[in-house]
Amino acid sequence: MELTGSEILWKCLKAEGVKHMFGIPGGAIIHAYDVLYSETELQHILVRHEQAAAHAADGYARASGKPGVCVTTSGPGATNLVTGILNAYMDSSPVIAISGQVSTSLLGLDAFQEADMLSVMLPITKHNFIVQRVEDLPKIVRQAFLIATSGRPGPVHIDLPRNVQTAKAEVEIPAKVEINKYIRLEPKPYEILQAVNLLVKAERPLIMAGGGVILSNASQELVELAELLGAPVVTTLQGKGSIPEDHPLSLGMLGMHGRMAANLAVTECDLLLAVGTRFSDRSTGDVRFFAPRAKIIHIDVDPVELGKIVKPEVAIRADAKRALRKLIEALVSRWQKGKVEEWGKRIQQMKRELAPKMDYDNVPLKPQRVIKEIGETLGPDGIVVTEVGQCEMWAGHFYCVRKPRHFIASGGLGTMGFGFPASMGAKVARPECTVVNIAGDGSFLMNSQELATCVVNKIAVVNCIFNNRYLGMVKQWQDLFFGKRRSQTYLGESPDFVRLAEAYGAWGDRAERPGEVGEKLKEAIDSGKPAVLDIPIDPDEHVLPMVPAGGRLDQMLT
Amino acid sequence: MKTHIFSILCDNVPGVMMRVSRCFTRRQINIDSITVGIEPSGLARIILSFQAEDQTAEHMRKVLERLIPIIQVEIIDPSRAVVREVALLKTRRMEERELMEFVEKLERTGGKMIEIKDGVATAELSGEHFKVEEAVRELSPYLREVARSGQVYLSKE
Repeated sequence: MELTGSEILWKCLKAEGVKHMFGIPGGAIIHAYDVLYSETELQHILVRHEQAAAHAADGYARASGKPGVCVTTSGPGATNLVTGILNAYMDSSPVIAISGQVSTSLLGLDAFQEADMLSVMLPITKHNFIVQRVEDLPKIVRQAFLIATSGRPGPVHIDLPRNVQTAKAEVEIPAKVEINKYIRLEPKPYEILQAVNLLVKAERPLIMAGGGVILSNASQELVELAELLGAPVVTTLQGKGSIPEDHPLSLGMLGMHGRMAANLAVTECDLLLAVGTRFSDRSTGDVRFFAPRAKIIHIDVDPVELGKIVKPEVAIRADAKRALRKLIEALVSRWQKGKVEEWGKRIQQMKRELAPKMDYDNVPLKPQRVIKEIGETLGPDGIVVTEVGQCEMWAGHFYCVRKPRHFIASGGLGTMGFGFPASMGAKVARPECTVVNIAGDGSFLMNSQELATCVVNKIAVVNCIFNNRYLGMVKQWQDLFFGKRRSQTYLGESPDFVRLAEAYGAWGDRAERPGEVGEKLKEAIDSGKPAVLDIPIDPDEHVLPMVPAGGRLDQMLT
Repeated sequence: MKTHIFSILCDNVPGVMMRVSRCFTRRQINIDSITVGIEPSGLARIILSFQAEDQTAEHMRKVLERLIPIIQVEIIDPSRAVVREVALLKTRRMEERELMEFVEKLERTGGKMIEIKDGVATAELSGEHFKVEEAVRELSPYLREVARSGQVYLSKE
């Protein structure tokens, strides 16, 4: 049967198992949306800004492990995706972005709402396509999903010209395609052997878990290996949740705003097993002093990452889950328990002595106290998403995440305005979970228009606004390194977030005293509505401890 | 810094050159020479040379191999490769005596005359990069325009 390009597009998405997408229609994608009008299996969530569509698709992907989809029109619709797509690229999130385009005959002639999206998206996607012929569409969609989800995941963009949406073809769905890429998932036996030979000699082994552990669903293997070795685990920001953070072997996040025990463990260990991490400068500090006593084993599915920043003694190019499983199998017979006992004691001593203090009773509230109350209210099943800046680092440092895919933050790109739309995506993907956005007032305002989307579509996300009326992280740097010259970081006493919420028809309230955050957060959750909880916090509070940019992990400001 | 030569086998589709070249742009590496040809299989082969530290070159190789349309990046060792370059030359308008001088010098460098018309000579040179380079420099007082192919490499291995 002959189908139009628009019909083919949605059929292809359904064949890929897509249930939800986020987007905004416009002139160059109107034919596709016309077919969507009578579509019953695909739920389209109409957002209020295309950037939010990209972040929502990203949040959807991170919470569910399935690719997130966003759809926009050409020109400004498509360029508004850019930040969100780059954000997904930096954090290896499988997002499929589809945008309309002017007809192929008009490409390059400056037609209305034309943008050269192939060129714009090229450096910020894992791969991108422009569909020239309707016959190619099923193949391109199939390839896009394969590319986005295989190996190291990442966003893929499809530019869909208007005439391709209306042209007809008889096609097979799903198309049969092969990717012209050799993705190695299994580790080589000699790589495992080399790693095991190093590991069995270690007396102070440490595991550093990155986002790759979560992407490959390798949490179980990670915990198993850590327990087998008696090795403590530090995580990157993206790796938070790969091991339950209340596990005795978990040391929490490392890096610039990491826990002191985590950073000291990195400095003291004699073997570092790094899994699914790219050694970001925020994690390592000055690389010359990173894990200075350790031999390093690096597991990553992307060969580009092996040797890029840190030169490992052993590089294992493989999927984290499979590599960890092979290591466990090889170590069971060779590992001698007991020789890391000293190290274990040292770790427990550091954990005890350097445990962060959270139970402040101050008014205005200390963010540590707010995080504590949010954690106690949500329990292990809540999903925490964060905006970017101080709020994010407080969450990264203090929040105890107990499950993979239950902590979502913009890491590589550090995109303010990410948290709210991403939590919207997370809630759509996992409606059974309570989703809380740990937000700063600065970041929240960058995509607060999505309150309308949440109210209209009944997406009950709770925004906890750590309100200090500042662009707090920049202010912190100004306080610490620029003689307290707070240049352009004070935002002023606007808006009233409670009334802002109410204007949109969302639940809104304010928590100002110890105990109130938990109480009102519970009310917000029970309301079943999208919510904004305004929490005025101490505007002079810094995220501490801190490793200044380019500094050493063992030299933290406190 | 030393010269590195990559022979890149890739799909023959629009945009491939841009995908390859932007990887170099991002690292602010200048591509000294780039040529493209179609293989008998229908795939394209891009041959390019650039200056970089060994470690950077190795990173570039991995970055290129990560691109979806790229099938393989081969590193060519210049000492184990055949290198050729073609230069097409056009002289300014010259008197008979000067033209004869040019023809003589061209023949000495191993070049080939294509035609002489209205006092303007067109000729071709080919050979190893440095020989072409040297010949062009020697002939440059007579030349108005030079078109060069860039270097083509074939590994003998």
